Amino acid sequence: MQPSVSTSNPASLTPAVAALLRHFPEEVRSAFVRLRESGDAAAGDTLVLAIVADHMPDKNAALVDSAALMADLGFDSVTIAEMVFFLEDLLQVNVSNAEIIRVRTVGDLRAFVRVKLADQTAGRDLAPRA
Amino acid sequence: MSRQAVVTGLGFITPIGNDGTAVLDSLRTLRSGLERVEFLGNPALTVKVAGTIKEFVTDSPSWRDWRYPARYDLPREALRSVGPHGLYALCATEQALLDTGLTRDELTDGNTGLYCASSGSPFMAYHHLSQLHAVRGERGNPMAVVASIAGTLNFNLAARYGIRGAVGGFASACASSSHALGCALDDIRLGRQTRMLVVGAEEVNAETILPFAAMRALSTQTEPATASRPFDQTRDGFVGAGGSVCLILEEARTARRRGAMVYAELAGWGQAADGYNVAVSHPEGVGLADAMRRALADARLTPADIDYVNAHATSTGAGDRSEAVALRSVFTAQGARPRVSSTKGITGHPLSAAGVMEAAFCALALREGFIPGNANLSTPDAACDGLDLPRRTLDVQPEVILNNSSGFGGSNVCHILRRSTF
Repeated sequence: MQPSVSTSNPASLTPAVAALLRHFPEEVRSAFVRLRESGDAAAGDTLVLAIVADHMPDKNAALVDSAALMADLGFDSVTIAEMVFFLEDLLQVNVSNAEIIRVRTVGDLRAFVRVKLADQTAGRDLAPRA
Repeated sequence: MSRQAVVTGLGFITPIGNDGTAVLDSLRTLRSGLERVEFLGNPALTVKVAGTIKEFVTDSPSWRDWRYPARYDLPREALRSVGPHGLYALCATEQALLDTGLTRDELTDGNTGLYCASSGSPFMAYHHLSQLHAVRGERGNPMAVVASIAGTLNFNLAARYGIRGAVGGFASACASSSHALGCALDDIRLGRQTRMLVVGAEEVNAETILPFAAMRALSTQTEPATASRPFDQTRDGFVGAGGSVCLILEEARTARRRGAMVYAELAGWGQAADGYNVAVSHPEGVGLADAMRRALADARLTPADIDYVNAHATSTGAGDRSEAVALRSVFTAQGARPRVSSTKGITGHPLSAAGVMEAAFCALALREGFIPGNANLSTPDAACDGLDLPRRTLDVQPEVILNNSSGFGGSNVCHILRRSTF
C-alpha cells in the first residue's frame, strides 16, 4: 500500500492538526473545522467514522453503529489503543483504560467522543497541549 | 555434523542495489553506493557522506509519509509498528521469500525460525520520547516501543510472516547479524529448525549514524565514491550506511527435496572476544584470529582451503590494522594467501546489518564465480604486508570463502561459506 497525502488543508487547521489529518479526504478535515468552530455533532460523527475506517483492519467490513470493533471490524487491543491515541492527540482529550474498555461498538465510540467533547467544552477534560 | 545448511534465498535493500541483480552488478564493477548527505540540516557537520538507500524516502517518523518501490504491497498493519529500517527489512524479506519460493505453510509450521539484528531505531525512539515529554508522560503512541527498541525487527517480522519456530534478536553491535547467522546454523545442525530467516537492518539517519562521529570513528571525506578506503594508508574513518538483507538458511536435504535453488553452503562459524576494550579492537587482533581459527576448525578446513576473505575492515585506522594483523597470523604465517577485500569500500558500514549483508555478498560470489575487489585501495597500510588485496573484482571462481565481522566490546564472528555441490 502506498499512502496518498493531500496537501490541501482548510485554512483554520493548526499545523499539528493538519499534520494528523493530512492523509484524510478534504471533507474530513472540513468536518474537524466545523466541529471545533460550532460544536457540530454530525461533523464529529463524520470525523470519528473516518478515523475508525482508517484504523480498522478488516477494510471490507460494514461500518455501522452496531459493528463491534473487535468481532466485526477486526480490531485487536493494540489497534484500539492506537486509534484512541490518535483521537487523544487530535482532540486533545485524555482517555483512561477504564473508558476504553467500555467502548465496544462503533456507536459506543461515537457516543463516547460526543461526551468527551462536551466535557472538554465544559472544562472537565483538558489534556496537556503538545 | 550430519545436517548441513545451505543458503536458498536472498533479499537485498542495500546502498549498492535493491535486488540481487543490482547488487551483483555493483560488486562486479565496484560501483559505489555512497552519496553526499547533510544530517540535521547542518552544513557545518564534518560528516558529508553515507551509504544511502535509493528509491526509499523515510525521513518522517510517520509510515504514512514513506515512499518505497510500488512492487512491495505492505499493509498498514505491517508498517505501523516499524521504523525506517523495519521497512527495509520487510522489503528484503519479501524479496528473499519470493527468491526461495517457500509456502506460507512452510513458514508457519514451527520448523522455520527467525533471527534478527539491528540497533533498533534511535530515530523513532527520539520522536516518541519527545512526544512523551511534551505531554508530560500523559499519553503516547502504543506502537512506540515495538517500533523503536532493539528487537523491533524480530517482533514485526515474526508477526507478519507467522513464524512459530525460534525467534530472537542479537545485540553485539557490528557483529550482531553475524551472531544471528551463526546461531541459525547451529539450530539447523542440531535439528531444532529446518530453516531460518536471518535478517539484519539499519537506518541511514542522523540518530543512527552521527553518534559515531562523537567517537571520532566516521570519515570526514567529502567525495562519496572514494570516502571509504578500507586498508588504505589514507583511510580516516568509516562511512555510515544502512539497508537490510534477509538470508534464508535451510537444511540441505530439505532444500534438495523441494528443488530449491542453492547459493552456497554455510560450512561453519566461530566466535571469540578480545576481552580488551569497549570500543577499540585488540591491536594484535587476537579475538578475531581466534574466531577465524575456530570457524576453520568447525568447517574442518585449513587456512590453505580459503580462496577469499571478505574482511570486516571498515576503513578505520585501528580496526583495519588489527584485522590485517589477525589475517597475517591466521593465513600468511601458515603459508596461505587468500584474496582479501572489504566490500565496505562501496557500501560503507551498515553496522548491525554488515555481517549478514556480506555473507549474502559471499553467497553471490560463490554462485556467480567472482571475487570482489577493494575499492579505493591505492597504498595499503604497512600492516597488510603479505596480504593479497585485489584492486578490481576478479572473474575467479572461489570454492571457499571466509567472512569476518567485529563489534563493540571486541566481539568477533567468522563464517565460512562453501560453493554448493547440490
